[in-house]
Amino acid sequence: MSVARALRLVTGGPERRAIEAGEIDAVIDSATGNVFLLPQAKRALSSAGGEAANGLLAALPRQDHQRLLAELELVPLAYGEVMYQPGERIRHVHFPNDAIVSLLAVVEGKALAVGLVGREGMVGIPLALGAELALVRAVVQGTGSALRMKAASFHEALEHCAPLRREVQRYAYTKLVEARQTAVCNRFHGVEERLGRWLLMTHDRVRADRLHVTHEFLADMLGVRRAGVTQAAGDLQRRRLIDYRRGDVRILDRKGLEAAACGCYRIVKVLAG
Amino acid sequence: MRARKTVKLRLYVADNAPNSARAIANLAAICKEHLQFTFKLEIIDVLKSPLRALADGILVTPHLAKLSPSPAAKIVGNLSDRSGVLLALGIKP
Repeated sequence: MSVARALRLVTGGPERRAIEAGEIDAVIDSATGNVFLLPQAKRALSSAGGEAANGLLAALPRQDHQRLLAELELVPLAYGEVMYQPGERIRHVHFPNDAIVSLLAVVEGKALAVGLVGREGMVGIPLALGAELALVRAVVQGTGSALRMKAASFHEALEHCAPLRREVQRYAYTKLVEARQTAVCNRFHGVEERLGRWLLMTHDRVRADRLHVTHEFLADMLGVRRAGVTQAAGDLQRRRLIDYRRGDVRILDRKGLEAAACGCYRIVKVLAG
Repeated sequence: MRARKTVKLRLYVADNAPNSARAIANLAAICKEHLQFTFKLEIIDVLKSPLRALADGILVTPHLAKLSPSPAAKIVGNLSDRSGVLLALGIKP
């Protein structure tokens, strides 16, 4: 629905002003109950069956978004692909569309997941904070696409585009919250609770109830042996919360899984917005 | 003076469309800073529950409704105007 048509549906002053300011996503027709999305919201949500647009970029004012698109390149990301290793120079930032990327801290050859990035965010935060080298291993957990930008272009964009700077800072903060909470979580919570949490975090970033994650991948994410994953997944399956076979996880009962997962899931969601 | 009574809020959004996502983030920051644990927030996605929105007389999203304590208040938009939101919620910045 166009902005002009939306304005025709709305008579109230504050509503009109908010539409004109570009702060409204949807208008509800009080005669029919139909919900109409405004163009920007429609573009951001137009993911049904196809590619979901990156939310961090979609949150930018239209002009800034369009200007950035010129510097962005659409790239496929395949399951298992290592985007960078600790100590490597980060050459690009990536804004996932429908791809999901796990960030793993690595010590003595062992890895542990410390963050998850999907369409809500970006991979390559160190570049925004003045660092050039990766501290974690970034591995593609969900096949899909991303928009990438060269490091130099990203620095330039941050300098000239205040809305991008704000969004990136806000996102970096959410990653800080997530990493802190994950540190506590890894020390104090059991494998089953943590598995529940990571499945929920992954589920939030895909638009389906099926996720593809192998035992090996989950073992890496949770920092446990494969047998530990088997047992925890088996327990969740017995409670009919998930169905897990050959690396395919189906969420059967999202509410139940939220109850089975540790409180860290909710804390990060509330604190990080 | 900070509100001591539990503040009941309801936020109407359209999935995670940009302004809705922004409103949730802005509100979360405000609640954390000013309301600590003295708030109850219900988030309603009008794309999933259009009839609920219609019944509640919602015309646009994002729309934040303060239900109690009285006076009731509403704020439309992505809640970026923090002082406006605090004023409407009856919280002194």
